[in-house]
This record gives sequence, structure tokens and C-alpha cells, in this order.
Amino acid sequence: MSHDIIITLADVDFSYQSDFKVLKNINLNICAGDFACIVGPNGGGKTTLLKLMLGLIKPDSGTISIFGRSPEKSLNKIGYVPQHTKFDSNFPVSVLDVVMMGFLDRNFSWGRYSRQQKEIALQALEEAGVGGLADKSFADLSGGQRQRALVARAIVSGPQILLLDEPTSNIDIHGTEHFYDMFEQLNRKFTIIMVSHDIGFVSNRVKSVICVRQTLQIHPISELTGETLQNIYGAGVNVIRHDHRCSEGGHSCLHS
Amino acid sequence: MSSFMTDLVELSFLQNALLAGILCSIATGVVGTFVVLRRITYIAAAISHCILGGIGAARYFSVVYALDWLKPVHGAILSALASALVIGLVSMRAREREDTVISALWAVGMAAGIIFIFKTPGYNEDLMSYLFGNILMVSRDDLILVAVLDLLVVALTMVFYRQMIAVCFDEEFARTRGVRVEFYYLLVLCLTALTVVLTVSVVGIIMVIALISLPVAISSRFFNRVSGIMMFSVFLGMVFTSSGLILSYEPNLPSGAVTILLAGLVYLMTILFSSFKEIFKSKV
Repeated sequence: MSHDIIITLADVDFSYQSDFKVLKNINLNICAGDFACIVGPNGGGKTTLLKLMLGLIKPDSGTISIFGRSPEKSLNKIGYVPQHTKFDSNFPVSVLDVVMMGFLDRNFSWGRYSRQQKEIALQALEEAGVGGLADKSFADLSGGQRQRALVARAIVSGPQILLLDEPTSNIDIHGTEHFYDMFEQLNRKFTIIMVSHDIGFVSNRVKSVICVRQTLQIHPISELTGETLQNIYGAGVNVIRHDHRCSEGGHSCLHS
Repeated sequence: MSSFMTDLVELSFLQNALLAGILCSIATGVVGTFVVLRRITYIAAAISHCILGGIGAARYFSVVYALDWLKPVHGAILSALASALVIGLVSMRAREREDTVISALWAVGMAAGIIFIFKTPGYNEDLMSYLFGNILMVSRDDLILVAVLDLLVVALTMVFYRQMIAVCFDEEFARTRGVRVEFYYLLVLCLTALTVVLTVSVVGIIMVIALISLPVAISSRFFNRVSGIMMFSVFLGMVFTSSGLILSYEPNLPSGAVTILLAGLVYLMTILFSSFKEIFKSKV
């Protein structure tokens, strides 16, 4: 996989109401093949950053380009996994039907999903680690299984980038490790950007960490040494060193 | 029951009434499922009350200006679609509190209707039949209109089914796929408007919302797929309207009210049944 820059945010400002800037002067480059984790305090603008990349909202100023085009024109390059808490969990659909919603796009088509689409959907479920659940009701799945089904929905359309909004927020530490196994597998095919609710720690599978709190900092990560912390979070986490700053995209540390 | 059956063979108005209930159940079952899943029953209720304004205006202009071609139902269709579009655009675009706009439209629509009906010269008894429905007044022409609207609702649902489900399930995701979310939301609202219009003739403005939501609420306790809920809701709607008509016939009760009471009773029973089942399960 090449390491070309595929997502660029240049001087991006964004505000929901005119008086308060949620994001200010954001400059960010993301390379193909990255596994980036966006962290930051609640209200710091993590999800807003994700929505900007999805083209759901537009910046007040600055430019966002994905594969050299605007987010709206790059929709077919992106697979989006929302937080599963966002919608009616009793909605009467099968898992397979949820996954196949990923095939819908700008071009209107009607009738049933094709046999080929069904095959792709089943394969995507397999990849997301919930292969046997296609015919189950989405409402009957556990939080983790739902999240995996939503990952399958995001990848059926053949995107190159996966954007995930707090995919592990509802999952225990043990389950989270399995999730990262899946992400590691997916990262071989997709560039992954995920928002995490955790400020202090990220899995050691993550390749770069982006801290957002109105402005943006790229922080280094260091291996955990304290055994107590290892016990709390389970194996395989890195501490994010908020006291350090990195150059854009790089991890060379400069003492501030 | 037996006298209903013998009269049904002879009296065409009774046949019309039975057919009207059956036809309108198709639309209420299909569209009601979207309404309940998208949680917009209060929007459907607002649209149904707005209809009175359209009905009143159409009657007023048809009487005062002798426009014979202008029927109340034309006003109903126009006002239903207009209020659906206004509510839709407000909830999507404006920062205005959506529920406030809906209640305003609800009351203003009714107020306009009452003024028009009050100012229309002549016989004004119809107001009650608009509010509470009078299925026995359904004419052959009305039936044709109901059938046409039914066809339209079912056809549009079949064409846009996948998109409408996806938008009801997860609007934001659909948007990231480039699906025209706003178009489909407005489509659901317009289909709701048309369904409300044809249901008004069966149970009246005030009780429309029960016939749209109760069959779906009952069905969703037994089915866990959208298509299953739709089909069973259509069936339940037919059962409720037909038996409402039959049960009300001999004691000479208002059939709309009997229909709704029946639906409410069955809904209550399904709730009780499933909570008993859960208590039983947790004991075991």
C-alpha cells in the first residue's frame, strides 16, 4: 500500500453557531494505509471533524479534499460506521437487510437487491466476524455484534477509507481487543480513521493519534510500562503523551 | 349480524362502506408502518386536522361561487399535501422548534375549517361526519378515488421501498451514501397525507391516527420484518373496519368509533398478553 496523502484538511474552521468555533485552524494530512485515532474531550470536536470529512457539514472556511476532490464527490470512497446507539434499536430488519443498505447510493435503483449484492453482503459479514448472523433480527444482536454488522454495511460498497465513530464505546475491554483484531485485518485493505472516547490510552494497533480540542495536535504514543495500568486496560495499550507535540503527521517529539 | 348480511346484499351504500374500509386499510397498513417506524404519528395527526381547513374552504367556494366541480375531497388532498410539505421543510431546514410548528399548523388548520364551514350558507350537518367519519355516506365516486389513491400509495412504496426503509432506519448513513434523504422524507410525509385523506372518510379526522398507528403497533409485536408488519397491518385494518361496520350496524352506533374501540381493545390485549408472557418467562 502506498503512502500517498489521501485526505487533506487545510485551514479548516467550523462553527455550529456563529459565535463559537468548534474547530479552529485545522490542518491535517492522512496517508493511505493509516490507522488513525481521533481523541479528545467531549465537545472537543471529534465527531465534528468526522462529519466534515463525510461531507455531512461544510466548513466555514478552509478546504477539505479526499482523493483530491470534495467530500461530497468522494462519498463512494468512504465507508461510515456510526455509533450504534444513534438509532431505533428495535427497528424490524434483518442483519442482512441492514448490511445491504450499504449498496444504496446517489443513483436511484429499484426492485430487490441482486444475488451478487447478497453474496458481497454475506462476505462482508464474514469479514466483520459475524458471518452466521445474516438472517437474525438486527434488534436481537448484542451491542458488539451490531457494531460489527454496521462495519459490514460500511464496506459492502467497496470504499477505500473507513470512518468509525466511537466503535468500541459500548464494549468491554476484552471485546475491545477482538475489535482491534478486526480493525487490524481491515486496515490491510482500508485506511481507517476512528473517533475514540478515551483520552489517555489507545490500543497499540493504532498507527497515529490525532488530538482535537478546538485546535488539533498530533501526539506521540509511548508504550505503557506501569503494570497497574496494564491491568486496568488489559494488554496492548499505549499512553498518549499530551505533553508532547509532534510535527504534522510525524512523530518526532519536540519538548514544548 | 344476520340482518347486516341480508342488507349487505341489497343495499349498495353498505357495500360501498365495506369496500371503503377494506381499500383504505391497504394504504393505512403500508404507510402506517413507515409512520410508526419513523416515529411521526404526531405529524400524521397534525396533517389530518389540517384537512378540515381544506375541506371547509373547498365547500365554501363551491357553494358561494357555484363551482360544482369542486368537491371537499379536493380541498382535503390539497391541504393535506400542503401541510405535509410545510411540516417536512420546517423540520428539515428551519431551526424553529418542530413540535411547536406542528401544533400551530394543527390548530390553525382546524380553526380555518370551522370558520369556512360556519360561513358556508345552507345545510351544515356535515361537520360532524368530517370529524367523526361517516362510512355509510361513501359514494361510488369516493370509492374510485380511494382506489386510485391506494394504487398510487402502493406503487410509490414499491418503487422507493429500499430507500425509504434505509432513510427510516438510519438517515445519517443514507446521507453519507448520497441517498437523497430529504426527498424520501418528504415522500413519506406526502404518502401519509394521501393516506390520511382517504382514511378520513372511514373514521373521521379525529380518529384517523388510531387507524394508522394501532394495527402497526399490534403487528410489530408479532413480526420482526418491515414487510411482515406491513402485510399483517393491512389485514388487521381490514378486520377492524369490517367488524366495526358489522358490530355498529344493528345497534345503530357510529361505525368509526366502534372500529377504533375495537382496535384499541386488541392493542391493549396484545400489550397485556406480552407483559404476562414476560412475567411468566422471568418466573421460570
